[in-house]
Amino acid sequence: MSFKNQMLIVLILAFTGLNAQEKKKIFKNSFKASLVVASDISYEFNSKNLQKSEIFIKPEFTYKINKNSKVVLKGQLYTELSDNLETGRPKEETVSSFSERLFIGDKTSLELREFYYYTNIRKKLRLTIGKQQIVWGETDGLKLLDIVNPQNFREFILDDFEDSRIPLWSLKAEFDMKNIGVQFVWIPDNTYHITQDFDAPFFTKSLFQSPPEGISTRFNKTIKPKRFIADSDIGLKISTFTKGWDLSLNYFFYYDDLPIFYNDLQFSETGEPFVSISPKFERQHLIGGTFNKVFGSSTFRGEIAYVFDQNFSSTNPKAIRGIETSNVYKSAIGIDYIKGENIISVQLFSDIITDNISAYNLHKFETNSSLKISREMMNDNFKAEALWVHNANHGDGYVRPQLSYWLNSSSQLFLGSTVFYGDKNKLFGQFKDRSRISLGMRWGI
Amino acid sequence: MKNYLIIGLLAFGMLSPTTSNSQAVPSGKSIADKTYAKDDGVSVSRKLTMELKDKRGKIRIRETTAMRKYFDQEKRLAIFYLTPTSVKGTAFLTFDYPDASIDDDQWLYMPALRKTRRISAANRGDYFLGTDLTYEDIKLETRISREDYNYKTIGTEVIDGNKTYVLEGTPKNDKIAKELGYSKVKYWVDAAVWMLRKANSWDSAGNHLKTVIISDFKKVQGIWTYHQIEVNNHKTKHQTIFRFSDIDYKTPLDDAIFTKETLVNGL
Repeated sequence: MSFKNQMLIVLILAFTGLNAQEKKKIFKNSFKASLVVASDISYEFNSKNLQKSEIFIKPEFTYKINKNSKVVLKGQLYTELSDNLETGRPKEETVSSFSERLFIGDKTSLELREFYYYTNIRKKLRLTIGKQQIVWGETDGLKLLDIVNPQNFREFILDDFEDSRIPLWSLKAEFDMKNIGVQFVWIPDNTYHITQDFDAPFFTKSLFQSPPEGISTRFNKTIKPKRFIADSDIGLKISTFTKGWDLSLNYFFYYDDLPIFYNDLQFSETGEPFVSISPKFERQHLIGGTFNKVFGSSTFRGEIAYVFDQNFSSTNPKAIRGIETSNVYKSAIGIDYIKGENIISVQLFSDIITDNISAYNLHKFETNSSLKISREMMNDNFKAEALWVHNANHGDGYVRPQLSYWLNSSSQLFLGSTVFYGDKNKLFGQFKDRSRISLGMRWGI
Repeated sequence: MKNYLIIGLLAFGMLSPTTSNSQAVPSGKSIADKTYAKDDGVSVSRKLTMELKDKRGKIRIRETTAMRKYFDQEKRLAIFYLTPTSVKGTAFLTFDYPDASIDDDQWLYMPALRKTRRISAANRGDYFLGTDLTYEDIKLETRISREDYNYKTIGTEVIDGNKTYVLEGTPKNDKIAKELGYSKVKYWVDAAVWMLRKANSWDSAGNHLKTVIISDFKKVQGIWTYHQIEVNNHKTKHQTIFRFSDIDYKTPLDDAIFTKETLVNGL
């Protein structure tokens, strides 16, 4: 082989080597991976048993295709070692087939939490397409406008919303018109709340009216929307920032994430009366808005929502099929007061059923309040916080203190408790026996 | 003879760590103005690593991308947390208005809640996300406030071979002192590049609170730039070191980066 050819080969090898290295460098800069492992053990005071013993493994991958586009994938492996919260394999009847979890045995599930493509087209239009969470609203703890994604009530509302919110296959388009931001969402994923079975620890019995004593019930198959286009949800959010006010207007045309339970008194072939219950998901319109503004050391924030023609289970014997309809006005106002490392946050939630109906377990005016106090110490190494949620109508609620401590950059310890109180037939009081103490750890790389 | 020499040198202030000559040194106000006049570029993007060390030596490291851009006189700053994983996605945005009488507007995106929280800027003396710098310190970068203090230039001093003007500042009133959390400050401002090189501050009880040392000054794309800030809190014995790298003044930053939508969507 001539010297010239040898040099040529060396140059080609050097070039291809460099090219591969360059590619590797580009890929390294574009691809990011992370992993969070979290565990939580809760001990139930009443039963003196473990209420849950769960482990989350959450890998996340981001690939930046270019300056304006990226693909994000978030997975989750979830194990509940005591198999208590969702006993056995949940049927997931309210979940669309392409959003279902994959169960491995009774205790473990795999879930594609998020998988979306984000792109900013000519710096004019931002599109997020795929499985994602879309969060509206300003409130903490209780939800008004944060209804775009449904929720898994495995732990009622004690789970972090990040974990309990069910991501949906959807499209989010955002663009600006001068200083007005426009967000359009389209959700063809027919997935709704995952509520718990009758025998689950967090079965919300307060939502379901019991039939008269001595009369049996028969459940019919839930009528669930199935059509890809016709049954999809759509939403619009318009937001702006003007004169120190953050403002938004929201509209959502959606299926309520909880079905309505139509009741029919029927007779069996032997002449025995029974109540035939037919759950059905129904369409609703919602208009609403949010606001916030800073006044000195305090942030004043709020949400309003008006829901048209919502159906309620009724206690009125004349109600047709056990259902009455009304519009509902919901509002929430809150103040966050920050002083140094201390935050005091107060929220007042009001629901008004505008029509004169007899909704089951609900008053015409329902008022909930929340108080959250938190203090960070030792340069945010240590945090103490307590949340108190109270329903003024029924006198029930819960208190939730928690301590958290950073062991190092990547590990955090939690110690907390939840104590429910009040009437056992009401929303919070029904979980009186579920009061617990929890110890958790979170580690990430 | 030796004693006479020392007395002579002391008389001329040459042995004092701070030399003073009220005729020769510029006023505190003019020095403060010059720190604002320094070229900062229209925008800058940089990697900011925060190393937080407590009194027992435990270290926590946070990596961020920090971006700043002027919109006419209004300055906007966005910080995106990259690591550790537990705080990844946290993002902070501030609008700093030229009119000092108007409070800044600030937002913090918390990925665990998926919500952007409005934060009061009135508490500018609060510590910034667990570090030893306050929100006000972060905002000022290496400038010294024009509005908050009455300054007295007490002389010059050499730091790392660079001449600095030494200023003492006292808050203009009790309200400002309470807001900032300082009863007195002492600044060392570089006489050539008009950037802060060192600062000491005292708390409201008059105790020495913090020492800030700014170092590793280099020209980046023609602009004098610091690469490290070390803050020692003498009260808590906590230390924060801010390290800046991958500094880029040239690549234009899209206006949309400095919006709440980008806090949510990420970079």
